[in-house]
Amino acid sequence: MSVTDTSTIGQGITVNRSGQTGAFGGELLTVNFGPHHPSTHGVLRLIVELDGEQVRSVKPVIGYLHTGIEKQAEALRWQQVVVVTDRHDYLSPPINNLAYALAVERLLGVDVPPRANALRVIMSELTRLSSHLIWLGTSGIELGAITMLMYCFRERDRIMDLNEEISGFRMHTSYIRPGGVFADATPRFLEMLDVFVRQMPGYIDEYEALLTDNPIFRSRTIGVGRLSAEDAKRLGASGPMLRGSGVAWDLRKAVPYSGYQNYEFEIATSDMCDCYGRYLVRIKEMREAVKILRQALDRLPDGPVNVDDRKVLPPPREELETSMEAVIHHFKLFTEGYSVPPGDVYVAVESGRGENGCYIASDGTHKPRRVKFRSASFVNLQALERMALNHLIADMIAIIGTADTVLGDCDR
Amino acid sequence: MIDETLVVEKGVSAGDAWITVEPANVHRSLSGLKDEGYQLLVFLSCVDHLADASKSWPARYELLYQLRNMDTKDQVRVRAFVDGDPPHIESVHDLFPPANWDERETYDMFGVVFDNHPDLTRILMPDDWVGHPLRRDYPVGGEVVEFSEEHETWQTAPEKA
Repeated sequence: MSVTDTSTIGQGITVNRSGQTGAFGGELLTVNFGPHHPSTHGVLRLIVELDGEQVRSVKPVIGYLHTGIEKQAEALRWQQVVVVTDRHDYLSPPINNLAYALAVERLLGVDVPPRANALRVIMSELTRLSSHLIWLGTSGIELGAITMLMYCFRERDRIMDLNEEISGFRMHTSYIRPGGVFADATPRFLEMLDVFVRQMPGYIDEYEALLTDNPIFRSRTIGVGRLSAEDAKRLGASGPMLRGSGVAWDLRKAVPYSGYQNYEFEIATSDMCDCYGRYLVRIKEMREAVKILRQALDRLPDGPVNVDDRKVLPPPREELETSMEAVIHHFKLFTEGYSVPPGDVYVAVESGRGENGCYIASDGTHKPRRVKFRSASFVNLQALERMALNHLIADMIAIIGTADTVLGDCDR
Repeated sequence: MIDETLVVEKGVSAGDAWITVEPANVHRSLSGLKDEGYQLLVFLSCVDHLADASKSWPARYELLYQLRNMDTKDQVRVRAFVDGDPPHIESVHDLFPPANWDERETYDMFGVVFDNHPDLTRILMPDDWVGHPLRRDYPVGGEVVEFSEEHETWQTAPEKA
């Protein structure tokens, strides 16, 4: 079998048909995979060229979940954009909020109080846990461990309850906003979180008991979907895709934001460079997330959760009855909104999938000139061909699964 | 930094370092920066400065290349301003493989043509889409919603409608 790789990823790998001596005499079968395939985590369509059952080229076709979020953001006021950021990577809304909020705050030049930062870290880590739990449950199903979904959704529902308690919403929380957070944590939230953090390590042990030494899971993931550290870096992969290839790069450590430098945690890496390595990285990250949650909860500072800047956030309700100035600020904020000084900024945060960035350009008006979401799935998906090449078509399921792309994030 | 003669302007915006280069020099500048250690193209995108009064812009479309050095953790944003209909700029997919899809997206959304790109087709919008949605003169909500009443009228031949 001779395969010529011109290594322009995406479309570029061309198969040298003349020299082909595969099982079917070089005759390649083009198969359409998806978009409505249950294992594509959304609506990913792949055009796969097969030689027998071996994958010779993969061409992802995306855009089925394109919702024009970047265009919508240009038509909304600065504080309204938070709501659309929830919806691109729909498995980690608070982390998307965080990237946007940090970018707007950098342009405005405001710093949020310590309690807001701690609450942001708590919400980010809960989101990372819930995102990894969904990944673990669905990937488990695809690889024959159907019970995984039941176990993972049991804990994910607890996280949904926590979201509901703190923000009133179970999924699209819009909790983190420019200037702070939506509301302070209730005592009940802190109690629920405390119980959750105490129980979660035991649950992670349960998942590991089911999968880590499971012979079927191991044989379907070890050695499958290899992505070397050089390839991962070259293709711009981030998150567990990069760390699963042994590169210790985590934005929470490399470019700390929201006070992550104050927490003790390790970067989860694995040198296995395959699907199993990415699984180990995510399990380790879940354990680290619990550690961060414990520290954040123990050291949660007191104080306000929003900046004390009437030009960015509305005054408290009580003030409206006694202060004319407060009424004016309130009226201005809810009619025109605030204006952000001209300039542009790029802020990246680490989501469950990798680098979730937000680029904002402001022209000094009350609406953004341009909002660009740099999504991890969009970039990670380009490494799919490199990972799947010369594997069996059945291994594609494991490879797509452990790449953990969210198509809403990819297509925005 | 790269050869100073390539840099037209440089500065810092909200803490982010940036340089502006001539559009014809983008490939050369990015190649130089890559050799200096900026190995990762974080994202590539475009801003449409149509009727933007905040500053006098050299051209309507601003191409952005956010580069990162993963060893020193430095970042730099390279800007290039292009005009024309359609605007043209050289592709950098050979330097940074992730640019392949980013350039397709920028073409899809802004109509910027990347010369020497291996497969410059639409990526997010359907292949038969007309127009480039993220241009500032493209209206929000102007398109016909599929499976709505207007869509039926639109799909029906004129004599039956």
